Amino acid sequence: MVALESPAIRKPAETFGQDRQRLELAALSAPAVLFTVGMIAFPVIYTVWLSFQSFSSTGKQSFVGLGNYAHLISDNEFWHGLWVTLALYLLSLVLQLVFGVWLALVLFHAKRLSGIVRSLFISPFMMPPVVAGMMWLVILDPSIGAANYILTSLGLPPSDWLASPTFVIPTVALIDSWQWTPYVALIVLGGLQSLPPSVYEAAQIDGASPFKTFQRITLPLLLPTIVTATILRSVDLLRFFDIIYITTQGGPGNASNTLNIYGFRVGFEFFNIGYASALMLTLTAIVFGAVLAFNRLRNAVAW
Amino acid sequence: MTAKSVAAGLTLSIITASAIVSAAHAADFDWKKFQGKTVSFLANNNPVSQTLLKHKADFEKLTGITLKVDMYQEQQMRQRLVTVMNAHSDEADVFMTLPSREGAQFAAAGWYADLTPMTKNEVAPDYDYAGLSQALLKAATYNGKLTSMPMNIEGPVLYYRTDIFKKCGVDQPKTIGDIEAAAKKIKACDPSITPFVSRGLKPALPYTFSNFLHNMGGSYMVNGKSALCTPKDKAALDTYSHLLRAYGPPGVVNYSFPQISALYRAGRAAMDFEASNELPTVMEGGARLKDTGLIPLPPGDGGQVPTTIGWGIAVSAYSKQPDAAWYFVQWATSPAVQKLMAVQGIAPPRSSVADDPTYRKWINEQPVRKEWQAALDVLASKGTSEVGYPIVANPQSREFIGQAVQSLILKEKTVDQACADADKALDALIAQK
Amino acid sequence: MTSMPVSDTVLRRLNTLQLVAAGFIIMAPVAWMVLSSFKPSFAVTAYPPTLIFSPTTENYSNLIKTTPFFSYAVNSLIVTIGSAGLGLIFGIPAAFAVSWTRISWPAVLTLAARMAPGTLFLLPWYVMFRQVGLIGSYTALILSHAVITLPIVIWILLPSFDNIPRSVFEAAQVDGCSVTRILWRIALPLVGSGIVVAAILAFVFSWNYFLFALVLSNGDTKTLIAAAFNFVGEGSTDWGALMAAATLIALPPLVLATLVQRWLVAGLTLGAVKG
Repeated sequence: MVALESPAIRKPAETFGQDRQRLELAALSAPAVLFTVGMIAFPVIYTVWLSFQSFSSTGKQSFVGLGNYAHLISDNEFWHGLWVTLALYLLSLVLQLVFGVWLALVLFHAKRLSGIVRSLFISPFMMPPVVAGMMWLVILDPSIGAANYILTSLGLPPSDWLASPTFVIPTVALIDSWQWTPYVALIVLGGLQSLPPSVYEAAQIDGASPFKTFQRITLPLLLPTIVTATILRSVDLLRFFDIIYITTQGGPGNASNTLNIYGFRVGFEFFNIGYASALMLTLTAIVFGAVLAFNRLRNAVAW
Repeated sequence: MTAKSVAAGLTLSIITASAIVSAAHAADFDWKKFQGKTVSFLANNNPVSQTLLKHKADFEKLTGITLKVDMYQEQQMRQRLVTVMNAHSDEADVFMTLPSREGAQFAAAGWYADLTPMTKNEVAPDYDYAGLSQALLKAATYNGKLTSMPMNIEGPVLYYRTDIFKKCGVDQPKTIGDIEAAAKKIKACDPSITPFVSRGLKPALPYTFSNFLHNMGGSYMVNGKSALCTPKDKAALDTYSHLLRAYGPPGVVNYSFPQISALYRAGRAAMDFEASNELPTVMEGGARLKDTGLIPLPPGDGGQVPTTIGWGIAVSAYSKQPDAAWYFVQWATSPAVQKLMAVQGIAPPRSSVADDPTYRKWINEQPVRKEWQAALDVLASKGTSEVGYPIVANPQSREFIGQAVQSLILKEKTVDQACADADKALDALIAQK
Repeated sequence: MTSMPVSDTVLRRLNTLQLVAAGFIIMAPVAWMVLSSFKPSFAVTAYPPTLIFSPTTENYSNLIKTTPFFSYAVNSLIVTIGSAGLGLIFGIPAAFAVSWTRISWPAVLTLAARMAPGTLFLLPWYVMFRQVGLIGSYTALILSHAVITLPIVIWILLPSFDNIPRSVFEAAQVDGCSVTRILWRIALPLVGSGIVVAAILAFVFSWNYFLFALVLSNGDTKTLIAAAFNFVGEGSTDWGALMAAATLIALPPLVLATLVQRWLVAGLTLGAVKG
């Protein structure tokens, strides 16, 4: 007896159809894949090759195999940079996810908000990072900035903000979160729009409280979108550069010296292109690991 | 005909002939030699280049060369330059450079064209090569090659509030020790104002710190080794960091010229040790015009050895038309053009221009300008370009100097610890060949 | 047991309260930036900071007069629309295919360009584009910026495509529809809000990205964001001009976002498919 659903036994016509389907699907993703490979193949290969070279300060080049990577492992600056990167990453990510979802819900329920006001809500990340950095540099200036002015007017103690070795990472995380929480909110808002209303109707009939609705129904349904936002923010946060470059240049001391900043200075200011390449590739590998991990999560929470 | 008259006639003809030849030579120099060509200029966006390029049309009319300009902010321009040069591209014929910082580095990388032959052979008669600051020319010479021509002269100077000094009964500081005494007095007299502000940002502070080091008789390298733990160097580290820690604004470890000038301009600082070319920024709005005094850093145990640097303009070693590019370089650094730039606030690296009556008139318009020029005269005559270590890896050496000073400002290390750690790292850097 | 439902009015008021609080925190610095653009440059860093002042438009007029602002803006527009468009054209089919087959590697691959520090690409791309004489061309800029927009489009659309129940596709397959037909006729209309978000984000990211333009453009094709840096330099820090430039630069993305708002609100998804 042949069971039609049995995958082991297929009719020739169906096999042909499925093959054709597979071909079509591959063709759909081909342009994106080919384009990406075309653009990044040479840079990646070139950088790998560079990472096996050593460049002395007088410009002499020599092949050192894995020498740069060995140096990396024993380099205190690298490990410190890794720690700074991870601390900044986790702090910023948590802030942005929590407040991003919150903001998305608030905006979602404010149905009668005009388009202009709604776009103002998501405007901070539309500002170029260099401008945001300069702006916060002035606002957070301990002497002439508005932030301390407001704090002291309220009788609170002023802070060194970006100049404090202990507070620089939280401050940078706050600046970044101010700018990118609306971005997360926008993504989650898109996700909220696509949730089937029938589920809410069912919940309302049951008389569930809004908090329970959120916890039991909305949040699980939103997980794929939240994971997407996590992946997208993670690739940017782990490569944190712009704000720090504009405001502290990795300081005070090296309290805000992320791996990207460190690699940039090694390459472009100290002209040690070989070591810089090794640093950049290591950072890329770390980000890649994070993306793979979150992608697993994405597949796990997909409906 | 006597032998004498023959000799006389010969001599006369020789003299006449050589006169004709040299006149022909002078007339030989033709500004329009490269007419129709295009020279590309990769520029920094700062007042020096901005002022220069205001007269771009003059150059194009004089020579018939078209000038293509690509202008970027300083750090961005450097990024672009490094990329273009690493690719050995002929895209930029001429570019601006800061010899005190990257001169040795770029020279070692072979990015500069040698200008020495051009300054001898292909030069306009009124160029007055000898009139350029010999110190700056020397600072731009590596391994006997002249790598760039100086465009301006600048260095850190001490701006101070004459009214606050008067109010608190403080005299103009005559030594470095006086600065600390003045700061202490001002702090007691008016707690709402920052007594002293200068650079605390790690990569930026060597610029101002070097002046303290040299005035106090210290030096970065002695006998090929890093000397930050010698007594004079330690004193300099201690003095500079102590001034900023005790009398500087909160958050001074992030401070470079944008915040420093903003702070002083807003009337919130009594003494401001910053670049001389921040004068226009500090004077913006007019609030500080009448109550600012200006002097070079007062002498210490080592005398007065101000930090003097200047932007240079160089020809790329990969340029396909270095001769045409040189025409732009020599025009940009000629006495005539530098005179035009001087009255717009760009301090010239030529004493002839500084003495020019039109310039003097501009200087005398404001008392603070007079003091500014007087300070620059001191910088021109006594200055050194040594900001950071005199090695190829100068930018990286600044990193370690910055780290040492910052760790002292933040009280993370003692002077002995800081100098020892820095020496160790710097010796390793020096040893890299 | 269900608890007493909280009244609708209380909920609405609570929401409004949160809205106002969020709005203040988010928009206060933006307001500071816009207000500062109307102050003379030295007044931006004056102390104490002033809310009341006599506004001046000198920053804007200076900006337009001294820099070729308009042509920079046109350059930025060409590059941004080109790269966002390219990202959508390549990204929509790819996201659909990845979602259907649950084979993620194409999506992760496109994200690879975003995993490496941008500076990694500067020198190799300069060399590459120089070989084919494309330095300073719009093509080089659009292609490099598309490397940024493509992964954004794909990853934003993935959950949207994932949300469509498989039964929809299966029904269409039984009808004999080809995969491509299913994409254009059935799937695409269902991910409208996703496409809107992807388009906005692609536009904004490309618009604000300066690193590639720094190296791949020339004087004629320089983008607006590269010009924004020019206002901070030793001896010439012009806060007023910087704030004015920043306000102007932030306008096009804001206008775009406002225009497409209603698709985001209404949502072209839903319809009678689910349930």
